[in-house]
Amino acid sequence: MKRSFFGFIKPKLTYSAITDSDAEPVSLPVSKDIRLLLDTPLQNSRDLTLSVGEQVKAGQRIQVTRDARDYAMASRSGQVTEINPFLGMMQAQMTAVSIAVDSEAHQVADDEFKAISQSPSLENAARFLQGLPGKPDFSPFFESDRPVKAIVVLGVDQELLSITNQYFVKTSIESIKSGIDILRKLTGIQNVVMAVPEHLVEIAGAAGAGVKTVDLEYPAAHPELILRHMMANELKGGDTTSHADAAFFSAEAVSAIGAAFNTGKLPLEKLVTFISKNGARRLVSVPIGTPLKDILKTFDETIREGDRIIFGGPLTGVAVYATDHPVGGDTDTIMVQDGSQILENADVACINCGECVRICPVNIPVNILIRLLEAEQYEAAAAQAELDACIECGLCAFVCESRIPIFQHIKLAKHTLEQMKAEESHG
Amino acid sequence: MAESIKLTVSHAPFWHSGSQISVKNYHILVATLLAVIPGVLQYGIPALSVVTLSIASAMLWELAMNYVTRRPITIGDGNAALLGMLFAMMLPATTPWWVVIVGTFFTIVVGKQIYGGLGGNPFHPAVLAMAVLMLSWGSYFDFNEALVNYQFDFNPVYPLVLAKSFGAGAVEGFNALDLLLGRQIGGIGTSCVLGLIIGGIYLMLRGYIRWEIVVSFIVGMFVTAFCFHQVNPDVYASGSFHLLTGYSMLGAFYLATEDSSSPVNFIPMLIYGALGGFLAVLIRNIGTHIDGVIFAILVINLTNPIIDKIRPKTSRKVINYA
Repeated sequence: MKRSFFGFIKPKLTYSAITDSDAEPVSLPVSKDIRLLLDTPLQNSRDLTLSVGEQVKAGQRIQVTRDARDYAMASRSGQVTEINPFLGMMQAQMTAVSIAVDSEAHQVADDEFKAISQSPSLENAARFLQGLPGKPDFSPFFESDRPVKAIVVLGVDQELLSITNQYFVKTSIESIKSGIDILRKLTGIQNVVMAVPEHLVEIAGAAGAGVKTVDLEYPAAHPELILRHMMANELKGGDTTSHADAAFFSAEAVSAIGAAFNTGKLPLEKLVTFISKNGARRLVSVPIGTPLKDILKTFDETIREGDRIIFGGPLTGVAVYATDHPVGGDTDTIMVQDGSQILENADVACINCGECVRICPVNIPVNILIRLLEAEQYEAAAAQAELDACIECGLCAFVCESRIPIFQHIKLAKHTLEQMKAEESHG
Repeated sequence: MAESIKLTVSHAPFWHSGSQISVKNYHILVATLLAVIPGVLQYGIPALSVVTLSIASAMLWELAMNYVTRRPITIGDGNAALLGMLFAMMLPATTPWWVVIVGTFFTIVVGKQIYGGLGGNPFHPAVLAMAVLMLSWGSYFDFNEALVNYQFDFNPVYPLVLAKSFGAGAVEGFNALDLLLGRQIGGIGTSCVLGLIIGGIYLMLRGYIRWEIVVSFIVGMFVTAFCFHQVNPDVYASGSFHLLTGYSMLGAFYLATEDSSSPVNFIPMLIYGALGGFLAVLIRNIGTHIDGVIFAILVINLTNPIIDKIRPKTSRKVINYA
């Protein structure tokens, strides 16, 4: 990545646009093992609802404890082989459930959802659909103090290089349309808007929702920025009292919701944009929980010591530790970087060049912020330097001349402040 | 776990624009050569020795401070060399060796390292050092005296001294083209104004220095000088004369734009630059000093933290605050 020769113009990053030359997704042969990651910590083994050796059906809800809010869907039937604690980002305590998959002939499907799909309700949607590809999040509808006024379907990809959601807009507008109809029925909210890039506007019109064009310049597709843009238009219309809050669903999730209610069967195949070391982009459709190494094998991608594998895009993704990391419901993109391409962060102070301040999409005084963060003055950073306003796009660290890991400082600060708050409220 | 391949794990972002402190410093350093090489041709070997001594001693002071403060070795980032170069550019070619070394001591140690190194300095280190030396050993910086043994085919009198002592009428002999091409006496790197301008414009286009500060500095200087000239054309020299003499262009392109001591927001950059240009002419015309650029830049460095508070409003999160 090089900056423009004319450095007084700030660098621009644009989202990838899906083209006709993008091949249809590759489907993988079924993996022998799948692994599901759950946000619930594995603390007290007596509360476990699962046990090693238990048989699970395809489409069965997998929960760590009975009252855990978080669950996953087994994408294939099989036998539970391992239940382990898993350490996520910022030391998040998670649980990993490994399943040895039954052979294709012996697959057993769970029919709990089929029974309730005839009588859709918001509770059932929250109970069954959150494990779908695209991870639809129904929690905003259950927060009584912040009523949702609009639903936004994201036909844009959050991450650079990804074309996952654009693919669904391009090819599955019919099931997106039925997904939107179901969301309207479930929530009673009629105001549904589809946010799509310019080249998909025509297709998106068929979904029966309002269409909003999103710029290709990063980070215009960020939900926060889309919402702000929508509100600006609303306010121009004279409705100054409108404090709209919106729920966001990815195009893939809405398409999966549509398919689930139409067929009574939960679609549990995740579409992933795979970016190999040489930058080539391919789509691959895999059952949720498929280990990364199976995808690497399919695409003949050799991984050497020191390479970097990223779940998510180049600016906001997460680097994984091992090649058996599973594809999750929200894994839109996987990219591989050769070790020789990796630039190291530096251990030097901010030189106050101001690149970060000029590129920040929400005008945070990053030069002040980073001084406070490096001194671990997190409360001061929130009070004086607008830490809370950050939408976590990663651009500040992308342009940093001193190569300070600004984004990491910000995440750590937010995490630490949250922990402090949690400790205070617990006494 | 079957495989034991060690992957690189780090925090996002995984792309970088490729910019780097050392790249920036070396670009600026190379750009200064456009003014320094004509200077060396004009003043000969003594000028070359002042420049090389200044750069070398600045780097050694930096290295020494790295060891004393037990911090990482930073002479590789090019900043010490650049500061040494900028300091030498302001000196007359005949500056004694010990003045150069004391000057780089003030530049690196007092101007930069005691504040914690690059990025921590509230003033431009070379400007600070120059101010200290001008107030302490002013006689070495009297260009007329310092360069008295040179033979030139143009008027060998420092133009600003002439303007200050005898009024605008005395400098009518200098035409703008001569001044631009370096047919005037001055510092090693400040005589050839054209070289400074070409190098500066290159750096502006590449984004290594901020055009907002440069343009507003030049405009501020020109407008102020123009107003003085309009009020009393016999005493006060014209705007273009002020721009093309002394440290004006060095100040506008290379001194006022130093990252650490200058603002980062748009409007503050404009105020900062314009204020610098205004003060420089003010000091030249009604102050006691011959050239006001050094002191003007120190004063605007001082205002930087305050004026940089003028910044665009942060867009707070819609969901939380709407």
